Order: sequence, then C-alpha cells, then structure tokens
Amino acid sequence: MKNMVVVGVLLLSLMPHANGAGFSPPGKPTLTSCRSPEKETFTCWWEPGSDGGLPTTYRLFYLKENIETVYECPDYLTAGENSCFFSKNNTSIWVNYNITVVATNELGSTMSDPVDIDVMYIVMPHPPEKVLVSVLEDKDWPFLRVSWEPPQKADTRSGWITLVYEVRIKLEEKDDWEVHLAGQQRVFNIFSLLSGGTYIVQVRCKPDHGFWSEWSSSTYVKVPNYFHRENSVWILITTFTAFIFLIVSWMIHMNRHSLKHCILPPVPGPKIKGFDKQLLKSGKSGDVFNALVASDFPPTTPPRCEDLLVEYLEVYIPEERELMREESKHLQDGFLKSEGFASDSDSGLGSCNSHTLLMDNSGEAKETDRRTDQERSRPGAEALTYAREDVSPDMSSGRVKTWPSVFSPLTPYSSGPTDQPGAKQHCLSDSVYPPGSTSPCSAQDLGLNYWEFCFSSMQPHLTQTRSDVNVSDIGPERAAARQQSPAPRPTEYVEVQRVSEEDMVLLQPVGPGPGPPARPGEDYSRVKGVRGHNVLLLQTEEEADGRACEELETKGAAHKPTACSHGGLPAPGRAAPAASGYVDTAMFVLPSC
Amino acid sequence: MMAAVHWSLWAAALWPSLLTACIPLDCSGEPGGVSRCPSITQEKLLDRVIQHAELIYRVSEESCSLFEEMFVPFPLRLQRNQAGSACITKALPIPSSKSEIQQISDKWLLHSVLMLVQSWIEPLVYLQTTLDRYDDAPDMLLNKTKWVSDKLISLEQGVVVLIQKMLDEGMLTTNHSEQSLLQYDEQPEMLESVMRDYALLSCFKKDAHKMELFLKLLKCRQTDKYNCA
Repeated sequence: MKNMVVVGVLLLSLMPHANGAGFSPPGKPTLTSCRSPEKETFTCWWEPGSDGGLPTTYRLFYLKENIETVYECPDYLTAGENSCFFSKNNTSIWVNYNITVVATNELGSTMSDPVDIDVMYIVMPHPPEKVLVSVLEDKDWPFLRVSWEPPQKADTRSGWITLVYEVRIKLEEKDDWEVHLAGQQRVFNIFSLLSGGTYIVQVRCKPDHGFWSEWSSSTYVKVPNYFHRENSVWILITTFTAFIFLIVSWMIHMNRHSLKHCILPPVPGPKIKGFDKQLLKSGKSGDVFNALVASDFPPTTPPRCEDLLVEYLEVYIPEERELMREESKHLQDGFLKSEGFASDSDSGLGSCNSHTLLMDNSGEAKETDRRTDQERSRPGAEALTYAREDVSPDMSSGRVKTWPSVFSPLTPYSSGPTDQPGAKQHCLSDSVYPPGSTSPCSAQDLGLNYWEFCFSSMQPHLTQTRSDVNVSDIGPERAAARQQSPAPRPTEYVEVQRVSEEDMVLLQPVGPGPGPPARPGEDYSRVKGVRGHNVLLLQTEEEADGRACEELETKGAAHKPTACSHGGLPAPGRAAPAASGYVDTAMFVLPSC
Repeated sequence: MMAAVHWSLWAAALWPSLLTACIPLDCSGEPGGVSRCPSITQEKLLDRVIQHAELIYRVSEESCSLFEEMFVPFPLRLQRNQAGSACITKALPIPSSKSEIQQISDKWLLHSVLMLVQSWIEPLVYLQTTLDRYDDAPDMLLNKTKWVSDKLISLEQGVVVLIQKMLDEGMLTTNHSEQSLLQYDEQPEMLESVMRDYALLSCFKKDAHKMELFLKLLKCRQTDKYNCA
C-alpha cells in the first residue's frame, strides 16, 4: 500500500512537465481477464485506454495476500501484447492476488481498477487434443467412436486437475448441434446416424471447478451408405401391407350386399296405397287419412290391368295345406287389412276374414274411412261365388283366408255388377298367368275381371287365376264374353305350386285324380253371386251349369232381383259341386265386390 | 427466483449423497476391539471420502455466493482480505504451489486434511449462531451451513479411518477443544459481523478446495485408474 502511494506521488510530480497542447495523460486501462490453463501458471490481459497521443507504457503490479510487497509482472512478453504471464514460480494457489495495471505517458499515468483473483477459480484449460473419429459397426448399423486426449499441459495424471469432457456433433449442412456430456472418459460413442451423411465433431473440457475450454477444431467424418438394407425391409413391409389390403378389400367386395344389409338394413316403408309419407311428416293426420280416400272411388273408368293387381294373395288351404301369402305389386284402393287380425303382422295385407266381413256387412261404422267406403260400396257388389269345403270361419280365426279360395262360375255376375259399378273386390287377389295363356287383360278389355281357376284333372299342375276385381263393370257384353270364359269352378282348392315371380303364383289343384270328388256330407251350395249387402245368389245342383238362380235373403236386408245368366262353360273335367241347395249362411263371406 | 435456483443447485449438489446413503461411518469401538462396521476396502473408503469433500466444497461455494449476495454490499465484495482478519488456518503449514505440494508425502497429505477438517468444525458451529442472529437470513443458507458442519464431522471420521488403514497408525483422538480460534462474546456491529462472516465463508471455501485436492492427489498416487492417466 505504501509503495502504491509512493508511485502515485512520483507520477503526479511528473505531470507538470508535460504541458503539450493536444496531448493528455493516458486513459484508464482495464483488466479484461486472467486465466490459468493448468492451475500452475496464469496470464492476465488488459485493455489499454486512450494513449493521449503520446507513447504510453503499461505496467502491471500485484499484491499477494497478506504480503505488503508490491510486485511487478515478471513476464510481459510470453503471452503477447498487453498481457502478463505468471510462471510457475510466481504462481501460488489459494492465494489472493490483487492486480493493477498502470498506464504511463509523458503527461501522466492512470491506474486501472484493481482485480482480485485466486488461481483456483480462473482455470480454463486448452481444448482437448488428438480428436479422432472412427466409424464402427454394431450388427450392421454404423456408429461413431470419438476419442481424444486431454490438453497437454493439464496434469490429469497426478490428479492435480480433474477434467470433464463434452462432445458435440452436427450434420455438415445443418445448424443445430447435438451435445453430449462425456464425463471423465476419453471415448464416446454416437449412434443413430444418417446414412451417407457427413458429420462434424468437436470436443471441449472443463476442470471440476472452472471454465469450459474452447471447442476443439472440427473433425469431419462421413457415414457410409447403409440405406439399401433399410430400404429392402421397407419394401417387404410395403408389399405385405398392400397384399393384405387387397385381400381385405376383395372380401369386402364379395360381401358388400350382406354388409350393406347388416350396416344399413332396409327400412320397410308404408305399404298402404295412397299413404303419403310426406303428408305424415308435415304433421296433419287428417290430411294423411284423407289422402287415403280414393278420389276416384268408385271407379268410373275401367281400371287398368295394373290396377287390378292386388297386393296380397292369401290362399288358405285347409287340411294340411299351407297357407301361402304373396305380395302383389300394389294395393288397390279400398282393400284393407281386416281389423280383426291384430295378430297379423303383415302390413298392408289384404285379408279376408269371414267374421269381419260378416260384421262389416252389417254396416257398422268403422274407424277408418276406408272401411266405411268399402261398406258403402258393398251394395251391389258383384256376385261372387264362394264355396268352400270343410271350412268354417271359426277355424280361420286369426288366420287370413282366401276369400274366395275357389271361385265358382260367375254366370250371374252380370246382374249384380251392373247395379254397382265401381264395386271392387274386397280381397286382393293376384293375377296369375300361366305361361302361354292369353293375357288376362284381353278379358279385361272387355271389362271382365274375375277370378278364375282353370283347372282340369288333365292339367293338375297348371291353373289359371285372374284377379277378379271389378265385376261391376261387367255389362251385357261382358256377360257374353264371360260365357267364353273358362268353365265355372267347382269347389276346389288350389295349392300354390310355385311362385314364379314376385307377384305371380302358379296354382295347382289340390287333389289327385280327376278333379275334386264330391265330398260326402257336403251340404253347401255354391254361391253364384252376391247382390247388394245381403243377397246371395245361389246355384242349385241341378243347375250346375249355372242356369238356375236362387235368391237368398240374409239378415233381413233388402233384396234385389237378380238376373241369372249363364255362367261359364264347364271346363273339361269340371266336377259339379255336390250342392244340395243349402247354403250355410254362417259361411258367407259377403264381398264388397 | 434466485432462491429457487439456489435450491435446485443445492439439490443437484447433494444428489450423490443420496446415492451413497450418507450415514456417517461410526466405527469407533473400544480400542483393539472388533469394529462394529462392516468392513470396507481402502479404495472404496477413499472414494467415499473424496465424494464427501467434493460435496462439501460445492455447498460451501454456494453458501458463500448466497451470503455475498444477501449481505455484502457490492463495493466490498472482492476485498475479502482487507477486513483485516486472515483466514484462521493461515497458521497451518500448507504449501501453496504445485511443486511443493507434489513433494508432500502421503502421510503428510492425510494429516493436513485432518488438520483442516478439525480446525473448521467449531468455526462452522459458531457461524450458524451468528447467522441466526441476522433477521433475514434465508433458510437455505442456514440449512446449508448446518449440513456442512454435519458432513465435516463425518469427513473427519472417514479421514481418521483412512489414516488408520493407510498409514497403520493408531486411533487419533479428536480434540476439538484444542483450537478455539474464535471467541466472540460481544455483539459486534452489523457490517463488521457481516464482513467477518464473509471472510469466514471465503476461507472455508478455500480450505474445502484444499481438502478435495489433497485427497484426489492421494488417490491418484494410490491407484492407476483412467482418470489419473
């Protein structure tokens, strides 16, 4: 401290001698850093201030801990310009150095700020040396092995200095480094390399308490191409996946229908003709049901062939005959499902139940308008023969029966239908056209529509039926035409042989042998026709040819005169019904035809 | 924020101690009797002692910086020696240059370490009491100094065992009461107290480094491991 004062006084005394214009004492120098590379020597650098235009000298002085002597820097040269190098002899560790730099020129001198250092805390080693990078292989996958040596001057061998290392690597063309801490070891492995890439590797070190060294110089290394091996694996995987995909899509394609049904089951729509979904959606129930009321009912024009197709044909064949049901193309107006068949699950199924129809006949008001319309149309319904053997309505409770399962010749039709134009058949029946027959529409053109069963023992396998819908249109000329129609039917049952199309059924007569035999105990007569609500035209046995007409009054309804006409010609093999002239009124199925 | 950083640093510094299950080796039985501790090799013992010394140094360094930040005014920060009080261990004959140190024998190295450790046990206890006196001394600082003084005791025990094993010397008695260099009963003023404590912490940091270095030198003299290559 005293020495510093002495120096300062000396410098101040020198100042008045330098009074040159434009010159000034030097600016204040600054000690920038002091570093020791190996904890044995150290170097301090300073930054000179302005020199004031005059040649300036710099001197470094230092004080050791608890020692009063001021020492000057022993070596200004070794470490270069503006530096001071402290050799081994001049370096003490764990000792505080108080260092100051003084700049002097002719005009004066300036001292820098003092700096306290302890060699232990200013260690910054040189970068590691002899950095070697080699490419090695680990099970066909290459990796880099980086090895290095500690800086030469650092004495790690005796343990004087303990160094930890750090490795960094990057691709040549990229910017971001990947840094790995290597600890105290001298070797490091790097994996996960890019095939065919060029890498730059650098290493640096740090003492356990000190500063990181500079990064070593870059070492370039090229990784060989191992991509082809990688590639083949990917090709295999891709091919396999494509193959599996093809198989799966083929399977889906084969089963697309069932899949479609499975995923999107078809929604059954309403099967009521005239039932408009849109109206229902719009929410007015009145409109919906009004729409069902056919505006053109009773029909004034002869219905077309398609109109006569009925939706459902239900054939009841008792005595172990199966009940067949079919769907027709479309449902005519006025045909409705009998209400008595709650158990019937088919929607839109036209069913004829003798019960219900009997009850309907009474003219009770029903809920649906359709039914009432139907009832209204009943009077003057055409005559339909109906005979059934061994059938009682009780048996048929809950089952839809054909109504009529068999049609007898319709000779007296002409009378009935004329009174009721537009009457429609109550039940739906399907048109069945045996192959090769004339189109039923030919008869229809004449306005003749009726059910016919052409059966003969000669042709048991073939029957012909036609829908008998609008008998009301039968006029006189029709009646004549009708006479050319196939023979009247006896009470026969038909069996559906097969369903040829969706709406066609081929019927065949039931019994073997030449036509149905007359059954004993049969005491039914054939109904030639129905007139009005409550009039049945019956046919007596001796008038099997359809000549006689009998009028039967039912249930106290009004009767009307009937005109009997000759019905159809007897078909070959037609057997006369074993009618005894008695009609079982209980069996009446009064059609609305 | 700084407290969190310090805490994390402290935790990072202390994690090796978790691995080594810092239980002091209390193997002092009757003289000549069978030791109660499971036997440990000399090499492992030396490693463990070095780990202790490293940890102690790191924690002392952090304590010193923490103290400097909190209590020491900026202009006085680097003038540790100008408070007038030298380091208490100045009197100990420890060389300060590499060449001299390299010439020290193993025995002398171990004994120097032991001396250092023993001379710091009491001052650290004292430091704790003075730190408690400060109003806003952070808990972390107090915890650290407490931890250091505990670890120092265990380090002493380890060095004693090492001396016994490596130098085949008898059990040394730990005489703490011998050196009580700090006797302050009066209440000094705040700044003076702060500067004194600051000097104390700095000196301790230095001595911890000495201990660590000596032990490492000792280790590399014993073995020829890769880190001493």
